[in-house]
Amino acid sequence: MEIQSCIYQLDLLRRESLITMPEKMAEEAYPNLIDENTIRSGSNPPAVKKKRNLPGTPDPEAEVIALSPKTLMATNRFLCEICGKGFQRDQNLQLHRRGHNLPWKLKQRTSKEPRKRVYVCPEKACVHHHPSRALGDLTGIKKHFCRKHGEKKWKCGKCSKRYAVQSDWKAHSKTCGTREYRCDCGTVFSRRDSFVTHRAFCDALAEETARMKAVSNMNTAVAGNINYHFMGTPLGHSNPQNVPSIFKPISSNEDTIINPTTRGLSLWIGHGSQGQETMINNNLQGIHQLGPLCSGATFADPLVSCSNISPSDYHQNWVFGNKLSSSNSEELTSTSLPLIDVKEAGTQLLSIPSLYETQHQSNQTPSANMSATALLQKAAQIGSTSTDPSFLGSFRLKCNDSRVQDGNKLGGPYGSNSILSNLGKDAEKTAGDLFQIHPAKRRHAEIEDGSGGETRDFLGVGTVQPICHPSSFNGWI
Amino acid sequence: MDTALFTPKEAPLFNSNQQRNVKEAMEMQSINQPQNSHTSTSISSDSIELPSASGKWAPRLLLECARAISENDSGKIHLLLWRLNELASPYGDCDQKLASYFLQALFCKATDSGQRCYETLAAVAEKRHSFDSARKLILKFQEVSPWMTFGHVASNGAILEAFEGETKLHIIDISNTLCTQWPILLEALATRNDETPHLKLTVVDTASTVRSVVMNEVGQRMQKFARLMGVPFEFNVISGLYHLGELTKEGLGVQEDEAIAVNCIGALRKVEVEERGAIIRMFQSLRPRVVTVVEEEADFSSSRDDFVKCFEECLKFYTLYFEMLEESFFPTSNDRLTLERECSRNIVRVLACDDGNGTEGDSERRERGSQWSERLKEAFSPVGFTDDVMDDVKSLLKRYRAGWGLLLPQGDRESGIHLTWKEEPLVWASAWKP
Repeated sequence: MEIQSCIYQLDLLRRESLITMPEKMAEEAYPNLIDENTIRSGSNPPAVKKKRNLPGTPDPEAEVIALSPKTLMATNRFLCEICGKGFQRDQNLQLHRRGHNLPWKLKQRTSKEPRKRVYVCPEKACVHHHPSRALGDLTGIKKHFCRKHGEKKWKCGKCSKRYAVQSDWKAHSKTCGTREYRCDCGTVFSRRDSFVTHRAFCDALAEETARMKAVSNMNTAVAGNINYHFMGTPLGHSNPQNVPSIFKPISSNEDTIINPTTRGLSLWIGHGSQGQETMINNNLQGIHQLGPLCSGATFADPLVSCSNISPSDYHQNWVFGNKLSSSNSEELTSTSLPLIDVKEAGTQLLSIPSLYETQHQSNQTPSANMSATALLQKAAQIGSTSTDPSFLGSFRLKCNDSRVQDGNKLGGPYGSNSILSNLGKDAEKTAGDLFQIHPAKRRHAEIEDGSGGETRDFLGVGTVQPICHPSSFNGWI
Repeated sequence: MDTALFTPKEAPLFNSNQQRNVKEAMEMQSINQPQNSHTSTSISSDSIELPSASGKWAPRLLLECARAISENDSGKIHLLLWRLNELASPYGDCDQKLASYFLQALFCKATDSGQRCYETLAAVAEKRHSFDSARKLILKFQEVSPWMTFGHVASNGAILEAFEGETKLHIIDISNTLCTQWPILLEALATRNDETPHLKLTVVDTASTVRSVVMNEVGQRMQKFARLMGVPFEFNVISGLYHLGELTKEGLGVQEDEAIAVNCIGALRKVEVEERGAIIRMFQSLRPRVVTVVEEEADFSSSRDDFVKCFEECLKFYTLYFEMLEESFFPTSNDRLTLERECSRNIVRVLACDDGNGTEGDSERRERGSQWSERLKEAFSPVGFTDDVMDDVKSLLKRYRAGWGLLLPQGDRESGIHLTWKEEPLVWASAWKP
């Protein structure tokens, strides 16, 4: 029941995803997916005809409308001149005017095909400010503006979480308090604060961190060869067949899939909190830097194929799918799952953020105890305690924290960080250096894996093929 | 005075005969009246009706006894102690429990054996203590009652506000909460908008018994958790301190570039009454951004020279506390029993021990929020809790059973908020800045 609804939601997400790529890359990677006449305004609607455009990929023929902040935030724009009552739609106002015996006119839908309208966000720094990323729905742009740039006026009574859009608040209130949190030790909590406090003192925590430390020590000890770290440990366990499972929906055996990588997941899922967001943003900025250099590579993974657009928000949107446009940053969680597998591949993907995370970190004032391990653990912790009402929530929370075997898998990417952070810290080095690692990595990976000739992409997330993996991800891009 | 009749029992093993005994006692009381003509006062007609439900015999009897002691009326003392002994039980209902623990204190007062009794009780408790048991107890208590968490949420809110924008934080935690206040704060710091600050936590454990083993374990857990949260963290415990007055800036490891917060949860009452001003001044010398004070709302201090008055206050407070415990925990909860036993030590300490006599740093003379405010105002000015914090507190209370409420400061002279149970203010939380 749960699984089915997940598949349904996955399907929904796929259709509404925000994934876009610059044309060039798209052509290279998916030559058969691009239409001839999609070159306008830099957007790439998929060749597979859909009823809707992907959000943020507007119809190039559409009329771009820029509304003012005031208009977007206004709830009842249409006012009755007699009694001052406000309405959201002109039609409603007209019907109301009839009651005053005023002349009224109900607009008919224009008989010819109306020109499609798309809306841009007035906020200059916002990704949706650019017409190529306009939203097609008036309600959508209004909600987006409120969420991103508006004041959070609505507050949940139970947990004090704030929302700018009333419908978001209502949706949250329905599920708030019904969420259950499960600790490693098996205890289930209905209250988040008790859960957090318990977790801090739980014996399970003590064991876990001991293992994590042991593993990461082990991996850092084998220093020197990035390739090893990148590809070795994680891939060592896996075989090519696993890789395509990135795109497999969560229909498979929950336990084995979810357990090992809830940590990895969690990073992507993240928590709605700002701090987490920033971290993810930073991670993705890193990816972004790498992007152009990797354009030549065969990137099976849409996550890796970057665009060059700078606003960090864009990356967030891009990676996490459409949900961002129609939801709070809190809802970030729901989209990431379809993109990442919950198995080993997921942990390999972990290496993306961790890689660039350290790069970014080098720009910050590093504090003594801050390690990528810690950050990721933090992310995992935060992710595992987020109150996401999406279908993800149930998965994540049921098997809330990684098991023992995670340590080994996750050790790889963690270990690699320390190497890469050295790279990152050197201001001279650019992503070009990392790119140079790439071919070496490939080779090494092949040797390592012995899978015979399958080229691995930079991040070891899979072969070229997986993008065309059947089931839900057909036509994903 | 003939003490042979009584032996101080820590855990008298009464059975369900108690129920019968109560009835008998009631009847006996009325029968006894004419027989007591030799005493100056009769028993029942004098007794003041406490504002508790009818049928609550314990407060009445206990107060009678207290009065008798203060008047040095040995015959009456004798009789009442005997009667209470018959009826009391730490395993019975609220009345019986109160009777049991207060009886102990009354007995000690009458026999001048308070100090010895207290030390015995403390030693027994220390033997039973372990990290596991302490952790289990405190977490359970926080789960079923907002008694502690109320103060935690309010204080954390005030601390976070005061630390806004700071990067080097130092919290001086003077409490007996075993750091259960801090995981939530660590999480909040980890999810701050800006860069995660560095937190140094210095704990002064105010538990009556020395708990260094327990605190070590607590420290380790906190370190691990902070690492999990990704918060740069340093942890120190100040141990071997008998006297809070011995704390110094250097001793606490306060550095110039740190933003300091002093967090006192049930700590100020541990200081001997005469020295409270000094310790507040010491806090002032640390130049903290914020001082959060959480105390239980009762006045055992201004009446410390008047035994009966002090007894009344004590009885009133602990009656509420015991009732609260009874309604919050399961009927057969061992945790509740442990908490009640802790109270018994405190009751003995307040009623039957002389101040400044025993191990220092374990005074239990509580003061009301208004009284603490008077003291604190000499060095600090009150900071109101922001709306956000208030909302957090309100949502907190909603997560518990019904009966808990929030009382906002009433007049200008009032500061801090109160946690109420059945409309009675029981815990006071406040924030202060220099």
